[in-house]
Amino acid sequence: MTKNQTQFVYVSYIRTTPDKLWAALTQPEFTRQYWFGVSMKSDWKAGSSWEMMYDDGRVMDAGEIVEADPPRRMVIKWRNEWKPEFKAEGYSRCTMELEQVDGAVKLSLTHVMDVADSKFITEGVSNGWPKILSNLKSFLETGAIATANKS
Amino acid sequence: MSDAQSRFAYVTYIRTTPEKLWAALTQGAFTKQYWFGAEPISTWESGADWRLQLQDGRIADTGSIIEADPPRRLVIKWLCHMRADFTAEGYSRCAMELEPDGEVVKLTITHEIDRPDSPFIHEGIANGWPKILSNLKSLLETGAIAAA
Repeated sequence: MTKNQTQFVYVSYIRTTPDKLWAALTQPEFTRQYWFGVSMKSDWKAGSSWEMMYDDGRVMDAGEIVEADPPRRMVIKWRNEWKPEFKAEGYSRCTMELEQVDGAVKLSLTHVMDVADSKFITEGVSNGWPKILSNLKSFLETGAIATANKS
Repeated sequence: MSDAQSRFAYVTYIRTTPEKLWAALTQGAFTKQYWFGAEPISTWESGADWRLQLQDGRIADTGSIIEADPPRRLVIKWLCHMRADFTAEGYSRCAMELEPDGEVVKLTITHEIDRPDSPFIHEGIANGWPKILSNLKSLLETGAIAAA
């Protein structure tokens, strides 16, 4: 990371398979359950558009798929659409890597913005991902999420 | 964080109670299951000695308890003995905060050292905690760890 970047990194080990984790990260019937009702719209091919929507249909984030290599690696060009100060920072990049290790899948998520002290990364993304990824892990391992409290 | 510090931060939400999570973080009967056989040894009082003993009896880390407020907050002064270059960096601080929120506990771990670009933090700690904390969450929620 350079001084002109802000980065959030999170690693989680989940007792599942890469195929199930890929499906949980991309298919609305799964994301709605652990991501506070959110669904994503994309055909998940490099160059395709990508949108994330609240359960009421409003667009929260939008961008495009930079790389998609199921079930191993995905890179999304990602801009927040609902908070003007986040949107003004422009596009971030979210990279998700899935590796089978030690009987589990290691999910490494890196969300980077080419802006120093990015509010989107330090206030938005850094608060959001740990709760979402905690719920995702619980959902895949137990069938239930850890917390329904979004705030 | 100042430029003269290196820091690792991790937040996980675990479906458990603060009391159960505190026990899981401090009692060998639990840590041995999710921390690859390791056991922390301490009376868990402020000022008390602390050490982390591996399954084979080697001492991985030593230090002392800076703050202990069960089941809410624990701060450990922490020196690693597993690599000479890590030991040479001197003492780090590991803070664990447990906040209940309904049926879940938010666990925040902040591990920092007063050195820029610390290999102990970026190579040691940043690789170790995510696997240990993933296993801890799985153990408390399902009774089994995630990654052996």
